[in-house]
Amino acid sequence: MKKYIHILKAELMTSLQYLPNTAFGVFTFFIFVYIMFMVWQYIYSNPQELINGYSITQMTWYLLVTEILFTSLGGRRFCKEICKDVKSGNITYNLNKPYSYVFYALFKHLGSMVLKFIVDIIIGVALGFILIQSMPEQTVLSVILVLVTCFLAELISIFLIIAIGLLSFFIEDANPFYWLYSKMILIFGTFFPIEFFPEYIRGILRYSPIYVISYGPARLFVNFDINEFINILIAQIIYIFISYGICSFLYAKGSKRLNVNGG
Amino acid sequence: MFREIKKEFKIISLSTYYAIQREMLNKASFLSNVFFMILNNLSMIIQWIVLFNLKSNIAGFEFKDILLMWGMAAGTYGFAHFLFEKAFSLSSLIVDGSLDNYLVQPKNVLLSAISSQIGVSALGDLIFAYIMLILTGVTLPKFLLFTLFIVTGGIINLSIAIISGSFSFWFKNSDIIEETSSHLMISFATYPGGIFKGIVRVILYTFIPVGFVTFLPVELLLNFDLKLMLILIAVSILFITLATFMFYRGLRRYSSSNLMIARI
Repeated sequence: MKKYIHILKAELMTSLQYLPNTAFGVFTFFIFVYIMFMVWQYIYSNPQELINGYSITQMTWYLLVTEILFTSLGGRRFCKEICKDVKSGNITYNLNKPYSYVFYALFKHLGSMVLKFIVDIIIGVALGFILIQSMPEQTVLSVILVLVTCFLAELISIFLIIAIGLLSFFIEDANPFYWLYSKMILIFGTFFPIEFFPEYIRGILRYSPIYVISYGPARLFVNFDINEFINILIAQIIYIFISYGICSFLYAKGSKRLNVNGG
Repeated sequence: MFREIKKEFKIISLSTYYAIQREMLNKASFLSNVFFMILNNLSMIIQWIVLFNLKSNIAGFEFKDILLMWGMAAGTYGFAHFLFEKAFSLSSLIVDGSLDNYLVQPKNVLLSAISSQIGVSALGDLIFAYIMLILTGVTLPKFLLFTLFIVTGGIINLSIAIISGSFSFWFKNSDIIEETSSHLMISFATYPGGIFKGIVRVILYTFIPVGFVTFLPVELLLNFDLKLMLILIAVSILFITLATFMFYRGLRRYSSSNLMIARI
């Protein structure tokens, strides 16, 4: 475990050297939230209105939490890196190292995103107060528990992106799969809570990764319920095992197919 | 001058042709990139289906108008990225010294640099744009106008990429500016202009000229106005002139990094 912590620390130090990148990343986050807020303000012509059980305050905070989870992850770039590692043969450098590539990629990415995650949370909360001037009722305990689910959500997302990237072992370019995956997360989990979809889609979404990596933590933040928290936590733990299992399987199978022609 | 323009067009066509040939070496990857981009764009329409279930009219737009707007946004993006993909990573060309390759060739430096690579997935965006046009009902004048606006909007997109990339001649790490400006253009282009008010609306017609890329062209497709169309063409010429000026101004400051690479 110590070696992975060192990897995380090294990446965190690197990200501290590139603070302007973080600042511009936050700016992009601000723009996304601003645009969606404008759309919701248009839809909620009456501020007291409830749409599918959500008030404009809840909807704005739901959006902020899901956007923090989505943008601080930097999934597109991360998936590109994994694909490039596989396609270029760089992944071979990891074959004879005394660590698991999946954990190496996980901790490396956690190190590079942790600063942005913290900054996004601070900016997100400030933005929420500026845009809507109120917040769903919170206790210290509920905030801590939501943060736990947020952390686990990011962990599962990273594993799933590694799995998509590792598909490059079998197909030439796995990036298009990430485009589609990210759009599904955006539409069914980030822009809208699952209550906005017909019943038959809701059923599927409740068992999909969207429930644990996007909808769950945000729903808890806007309407905390301890039973819902337990359900989400259990689902997240199950998903961590499943997604890690998929990554390990793909890496084990894929590395056997690896063929590097010198360099 | 006419001969010069003709020569440059020939260079772009040949450059694109060879780039396509190169990419087609792996047909499966080429086709999957195009197919998934169409699917990727189509999936975003779900967002609008949900929103139109809540309200039948958003900022004066009906669902059909949104499809047209998405077609325009994808088409302009696709045009710029398909033909001039390298313009969107101009910053790295300047910083790592790869611009040397183009300086020694007896061709227009900017044009040969930005047209040296095609964006395969951007072809999917272009196809998607015309699918949207067909879905909203196509006539010959509408088709011609749509194509014209894809070119003018694409030129504006390209100009913004060149301007933001050219900052690298003066500042280090300006790749962030390049990336952010590209993000901003896409983000605003896929929402109806009517939801943005006040100062933001002014910004969207100046510093982030999305207004000329999607808002105004969609408006013109719905209610044609010759004067506004001429303004749109003039604005795109103005932007590309500004971008070219900025690139060549910066090029005076460029110094080679003596980078030695093999180009195969």
